[in-house]
Amino acid sequence: MNANEHDRRLEEVAAYAIGALDPGQVAELERHLAGCGRCQEELRWLSPAVRALPEAVERQAPPPELRRRLMAEVRSDAAAEEERGGAAETRGARGEERREPARSHVGLGEWLRGLNVGGLTWKPLAGLALVVLAIAGGIGYAVGNGGGSGGAHTTEVEPGANGIAAKVVTEDDRGELHLAGVKPLPQGRVLEAWVERDGIVEAVPALFAPDQAGRASTTIESMKDVTAVMVTREPAGGSDKPTAKPIVEVPIET
Amino acid sequence: MPWIGRRDAEAFEVFYDRHGGAAYSLAYRILGERGAAEDCIQEAFISIWRTGGRFDPTRGSVRSWTLSIVRNRAIDVLRSRAGKAPKLTFDDEEILESRPSGELTEEEAMRHETATEVRGALSQLPDEQSKVIQLAYFGGFSQSEIAAMLSLPLGTVKGRMRLGLEKIRGELAEGPA
Repeated sequence: MNANEHDRRLEEVAAYAIGALDPGQVAELERHLAGCGRCQEELRWLSPAVRALPEAVERQAPPPELRRRLMAEVRSDAAAEEERGGAAETRGARGEERREPARSHVGLGEWLRGLNVGGLTWKPLAGLALVVLAIAGGIGYAVGNGGGSGGAHTTEVEPGANGIAAKVVTEDDRGELHLAGVKPLPQGRVLEAWVERDGIVEAVPALFAPDQAGRASTTIESMKDVTAVMVTREPAGGSDKPTAKPIVEVPIET
Repeated sequence: MPWIGRRDAEAFEVFYDRHGGAAYSLAYRILGERGAAEDCIQEAFISIWRTGGRFDPTRGSVRSWTLSIVRNRAIDVLRSRAGKAPKLTFDDEEILESRPSGELTEEEAMRHETATEVRGALSQLPDEQSKVIQLAYFGGFSQSEIAAMLSLPLGTVKGRMRLGLEKIRGELAEGPA
């Protein structure tokens, strides 16, 4: 790439930083960014300028009524959730069905259709995790289930073509996902984990990123009824639904 | 933000008190109407309350994350209004300066300093650079849209945007005179 071409790239980096790059050019620039230290450095350098822009707007006092409305909705939400939680515990004690997940979720089929890997007939969940594994291409495969000591249970996935190994350690109801061999993420990308329960894919709230050694970990607060744990690369801030194919998937034996 | 996991309404209230004013100001700046800004803030903060555990501390502060959510939502509203131009004024000095300095926490003071630096940098930018940056950030327009809107070659818009951002960044790096 000559100097003029690189100047053009740097102009695109500025537009990307402020969110004004034309949508058709974003993917191409992100590919370039992944392998260009100079452009990554430019993006890192410009980002504080963009983050500072909203701090400079004319201050307007929000109306007190807005705060009251907002907090009324939040408290009503919290109360309803508490009530549902209590009811679910009661149902659970009686052996009845569990409540629906509270977080936003997406059906696995919907996810796959959204990723243009449709054209296949998806069966409801039995073995579906492995189907996802196959279509994702290059991701690891499960090699061990049931390892561990004491109350812990470990499921490991060997490195696939993309070199990523994964391990899920479940203890009581809590899970720890550990990845190794993860390449550095392009600027503006983050790792997001997803769990699958009854054919529904839910986001794991905490986003994460690999360290310099390519290791990345996150916690899954509840492993109850989870049949697979997946990880995708998502835009900074995370996504409500997966927007990319998984880089790794760990089928969980239930 | 551990309060998200705990679903702690009281902590959320503190969070709103800390960032709601900046968020509302940004929404109002983008949307130009109080009612629309209120709706935007209500939706954005409820979204944070319900799914806010997505905050990634390695990618910036809670405040910049919150403001980016508000900005994206406001821009979506703006885009859904066909043909509505964003408000393009930049005069917040009076209100910020009117706050008694004794009320500022250290964090607020830093923001105040940043705001002063950014306003100073923006006011020193040539109009043409300031305009493309404001259309991009507060209007949500892409470079091509800005070029068409201002009847300028795309390359000119790209150059002005980069130069303008670099000047603002330089001002932040140097600090106030």
